[in-house]
Parts: sequence; structure tokens; C-alpha cells
Amino acid sequence: MGVVVGPRVIDAGASLLSVLISPVAVAAGYPSPAQDYFDGRIDLNEHLIKDVTSTYVVRVSGDSMEGAGISDGDELIVNRALEPVDGSVVVAVLDGELTIKRLRITGTGIVLQAENPAYPDIRVPSLSDLVVWGVVTRCLHYV
Amino acid sequence: MSKPAVMRHMPQIAHVDVNCFYASAERAFDPSLEGRPVIVLSNNDGCAVTRSPEAKALGIAMGEPWFKLAPRAKQWGLVALSSNYELYGDISARVMELLGRYSAWLEVYSIDEAFLGVKGTPEELLALGRDMKTAVRRNVGVPVCVGIAPTKTLAKLANKWAKNNPGFDGVCHWDSVPAADRETLMRRLSVIEIWGVATRLTKRLNALGVHSILDLSRADPVMIRDRFSVVVMRTVLELQGTPCIPMEEERIGRDQLIFSRSFATPITTAAGIRQVMSVYGQQAAARLAKHGLQAKVLTAFAGTSHFNPKDTSYPSVCIPLPMPTADPVILTKAAHALLPRICEDIRYARAGIMVTDLRPTGNQAPLALFENPHEERHVGTLLEDITRRYGRGSIGLGHGGIRGGPDWTMKRDMLSPRYTTHWDELPLVKAA
Repeated sequence: MGVVVGPRVIDAGASLLSVLISPVAVAAGYPSPAQDYFDGRIDLNEHLIKDVTSTYVVRVSGDSMEGAGISDGDELIVNRALEPVDGSVVVAVLDGELTIKRLRITGTGIVLQAENPAYPDIRVPSLSDLVVWGVVTRCLHYV
Repeated sequence: MSKPAVMRHMPQIAHVDVNCFYASAERAFDPSLEGRPVIVLSNNDGCAVTRSPEAKALGIAMGEPWFKLAPRAKQWGLVALSSNYELYGDISARVMELLGRYSAWLEVYSIDEAFLGVKGTPEELLALGRDMKTAVRRNVGVPVCVGIAPTKTLAKLANKWAKNNPGFDGVCHWDSVPAADRETLMRRLSVIEIWGVATRLTKRLNALGVHSILDLSRADPVMIRDRFSVVVMRTVLELQGTPCIPMEEERIGRDQLIFSRSFATPITTAAGIRQVMSVYGQQAAARLAKHGLQAKVLTAFAGTSHFNPKDTSYPSVCIPLPMPTADPVILTKAAHALLPRICEDIRYARAGIMVTDLRPTGNQAPLALFENPHEERHVGTLLEDITRRYGRGSIGLGHGGIRGGPDWTMKRDMLSPRYTTHWDELPLVKAA
């Protein structure tokens, strides 16, 4: 703090200076300070992630949700903080696995539906018997 | 701490920490681990550093070497995992950011624990504790316990109690517990159970007839200061309900290094925070070099002021480093990843960094191809030399670049995917 840099420091710092100003280091670093504050472009994080603490990205394995436009290999944005409601596409824990289903809350109980006729519905007596890992908010589908 | 003119209640301190943090972080993405004995191994898959309650119930000790456990793992149904510091770092950053929303005063104490300043009636404090517990579980996916008390030492003790006594349901407000029960607990627990009292100190305290936490809480602070140190006296005062353990600026834990501080004048620009991050990057590099360590994961965080509850912001980011390093240039550059999350014109009162996934330097030297150019030229040592000779702040880093190769020399045979930091390793959800 407030230290005057004497000639000896310049000596000692010769190799340091060469590191700091070498083209290689600068090219990999910040070319211009202005770039750090450039905010003109659309930032998908800002639009797709409402809460950074509770949002995760997961990848789909299987074709049971084709009817909802969710295909094998798509990425999903999942918000754990959302309350699941009737009609939500949820990631639920079934037999120790993260599984994606359409949640139906009916007068006679809870139904987990696939969006593909090849897969049967799964019935759950009540919401408390079901572990909902998160609610799917977006699908990043490959076209 | 200055006090408002009218104050209904004395400020209290909440201590929040994640239960069996590493195992819980793994379980958040692999529900099949729920209810099963899980251990997480130290670097190079050496020994158990985290045990789930089921693993503890099997009699597995902290630090037990994996080669001794491996033969029985199958019979026990024991799941052993290599330490996945990128995952733990990211989960930690999420927990801390979320906790920051509950208090304008947050001290990140370690990768899995924090102190928060809180205020309210006993009922309000209990409700706040339960809220935090529910929110962390729901949002991030890991279980926490909360201890709330007049001092940090008592808050930690309350938290330990909440963890071990299911009656609390994970949240213990010290002052709400009947005094007789608190005494019983403090009489039952040895002084070694209290925060800040190590084995050697325990022996010396025992020689003076101080065996239980209750004994220590009734000791004469002045006698303790004269016979031991100011540090132990503080513990006594804290047990008696007088807060006196200050915010620590630098902490070295079992597997992490933390640097954080409050600013004398709030910082209101990303440029200001950038400067702070540069200082910490260099301090961390110096500490790592001193201990012969390198880090692979860095977390950077900042927080707004205690006194300004309107504009709050608690950004926290976790940055996997391209290779294990103690290079001040790389650490500084990584810490700058926090900058896009900094809101301009908000008054930041503190900031910090934490480095984890530490391993000895040179234990597994990278190929020359991947070696870091700055390290080779001993920039870190040079900066240290200059700092030592000409004082702190006499030299610093402005710009820097990251170059590195893959980290493939560490033995981590049972590593789970880096679910939240690598696009190729996202958690899979079954659509079947």
C-alpha cells in the first residue's frame, strides 16, 4: 500500500512483466475491459432460469413423453421450487429413479401419465406418497 | 454492532449446515442412494470422509481406509463414491445464495455451513429456522439442520443437538429449550464436543477439573484467559451467552480454504468486486503454495450489507478449474466469474472465495504439455517475494489467462457425474 516501486523491483519483475504482457496470456484473458460489461445480447439464463438456486438441467432418456414434444436426448429445465399442479410435467422419483411424467391430480387420486400410448398410467394414492423432484418448465428440443 | 434505537429483540445467530453434505449432494441426483449406506472417499479414493447415517450405523469410522472396507462393501450394500468436488461446490453455492435471502448478515463458514444474523420472537425464530430448512431441501435438494442461539458457539451446539435429537425436527432454538434440559445436555457432553476445543486442550482442561461443556461454561473467563488463551476465553464467554467470536477472514478446513471479509466502505461496482477477487485469488495462491497444495474448484461469493435490507444480493458461483493449480493468475481469473452476477449500484458489504478439491502439489505432475505457463515461471513465488519485501498491495495481477489440460491423473474410480457443471454429464431422467 503506497509502496514506491524502486529499481530493484523492476529488475526482479522483469520475468513477471514478460508473462503478463506476452501475447499468449493476453489472448486467453480479457482482450478488453469493455467486454466484461457488454450486456446487449439476449442472455438465455436470464429468460429460462427464474431461480438459480432451484433450477437444474436434466437430459431425457426414453420416448414416453413424445406426445408432450419431449424426445429422447432433449434437455429439460427443471425448477424444484415450483409447486406441482394438475397438468404439470414433473420429474418424480419412481423406484429410486428420476422419471418424467405428466401429473394428474384427480378426485380419485394421483395419476402419473406418459405422453405415449405404449406406456401405462401409474396410480398413486395421494400426493404425499409421491416424491416430486421438480417441475419441468422448458424443453430444449433438437429439431 | 450498532443498535437501532428501538429494538424488540436482541439479535441472534443461526447456524445452518447440511447433513452429511457430500453424501446428501450425491443423493440429490441419485435417489437410489436414499436409505442406503453411502460413504464419500477422500482424494485418490483413500478413506471415508463422509458417512451417511446408515454407514455410521455399520460402524464405519471417519477416516477408515477404503481398502479395509472394500471387501465387505458388497455384503453391506455399501456405496462408496469418489469425491465429486465440482458437484459439492455448486450445491454449496446454491445453498449459500438461498440462505442469503433470509438474512442481510451471512457468513459463509465452510463449504457446508454458514452463520446468519437473525432477529425476532422465539416463535418467529423457530418459524424462520423451519422455513430455511424447508427451502434448502425443496430448492437445492439437500437436508440441513438449524441451530439458533445468542452466540456462534451456542448456535453450533444447538445445531448439533437438533441433528442428534429427532424431537427437534432439525431446528433448535436454544432459548426456547427449558434451562434444565440445556444443562443436562451440557453436562453430558465433553468439552471436546464444543467448537474450537481440540484434543490437546481437552487434556489440559480436564486437569483443571473442567470435563463437560457445563463445567467450561461455569469457568472464570479471566482464569481461562490467563491459563490458556483469549481464544478459549471467548469460548467460555460465548457459552455464557456473550457473543465475542468475530468474523474470521481466513480459514483452513480439512479440505478447503476460505478467504472473506467485510469492507470498511461498501463496494458498489463490479470493478470494485473485481479488485477484491484479484486480491483473494493471490492470497489463496500464496496459502496453497505455503501448504504445498493445489486446488481444482473455486467458489466466489459476495453479499450486501447488514444495514440495508432493501437491495439485497448474494451471488455465489462455483468454477471448476481446468487443472489443479496454485497459480494466482488462474485463481484470480476464475474468481472473476462472479462479476456478471454483481449488480451495479448495490452496496456489497462483503465478498470471499473458497477453494476446494485440494491435493498435494507435484503428487501427480501433469505432462509438460499441460503444465501451466505461469507456474513454470514461478509467478506465484515471485509475487510472494515482492509482497514480502515491499508489503501487501505493492504488486498485483491485472490480467490473466487460463490454459490447462484435463485432470486425469487423480484416482477417482467411483466418481459420480458432475451433474451441474458439465453439459455432457447432466442427470438422466427416465421417460419410460
